[in-house]
Amino acid sequence: MNNDRNKKIEEILGSLDNVQKAAVPDFFYTRLKVRMEKELVPVTKKSLLLRPAFALSALAAVLIINAFVIFKGDTGKSNISNNDAETIQSLAAEYRLNDNINLYDINQDK
Amino acid sequence: MNEIELIQGLKDGDETSFKCLVDAYQGRVFNTAFGIVQNAEDAEDVAQEVFIQVYRSIHTFKGESKLSTWLYRIATTRALDLLRSRKSKKRFGFMQRLFGDNNEPIHELPDFNHPGVAMDRKENAAKLFKAIAQLPENQKMAFTLHKLEELSYQEISEIMQTTVPAVESLMHRAKQNLRKILEKEID
Repeated sequence: MNNDRNKKIEEILGSLDNVQKAAVPDFFYTRLKVRMEKELVPVTKKSLLLRPAFALSALAAVLIINAFVIFKGDTGKSNISNNDAETIQSLAAEYRLNDNINLYDINQDK
Repeated sequence: MNEIELIQGLKDGDETSFKCLVDAYQGRVFNTAFGIVQNAEDAEDVAQEVFIQVYRSIHTFKGESKLSTWLYRIATTRALDLLRSRKSKKRFGFMQRLFGDNNEPIHELPDFNHPGVAMDRKENAAKLFKAIAQLPENQKMAFTLHKLEELSYQEISEIMQTTVPAVESLMHRAKQNLRKILEKEID
């Protein structure tokens, strides 16, 4: 019984002796080239964008530009508003616009 | 074209050299992967990945080992990676079934019939391949390279970057484990 079992196991273990090589699928090289054309070109383009160094630099640049715009925008706005007020006042004084307003003041007629 | 010229051609990005490489080694790469992953489509996929990796990293090849050794090393690594991803997918599928996301049965690979096995040995070979699939990775690698690629222990030790006695030990343990698995199968 044990001998039969051992014999069977030996037969199974020896079943791969002198095994022939499997044939490579037809057009292997053609399919490989197609895959390489698909994979290799976009990878180099993508890899630049996906590199952590590139992504972090881009993020830092965006944050710096944002911060610059916010701070510069605020100070710029206040300067412009002061200048605008002065200009308007000087224009109003030059053309006596304040007096004109008084001329057409309805309450004054009453 | 000798090996040095071939490697230089590959480093220069010469397409003829690349075709020569594929023509010369596709059989060995495909058969190594085929023995490990036990599926023709997956083996072709692995073989393609091997040549793509060679194309990409030929500049890192220092020539300390033979080109064939390097190719066998990449092929076995890639094939074992595929087995690992197959296992994790299977585990994920099982979890999905447990939590009721997917009620489809887990896909089991059918018995592997190697086309190079003689007709009268096919049944036994299928049993042996099933048992080989249950071996630990390094034993599976050594056994497959020795039995299917008919590589010597010396060549296997170079591929696995280990010593000849270590390969002998791996082969011994692989045979012991296969016996145990087959005993259970027969009982």
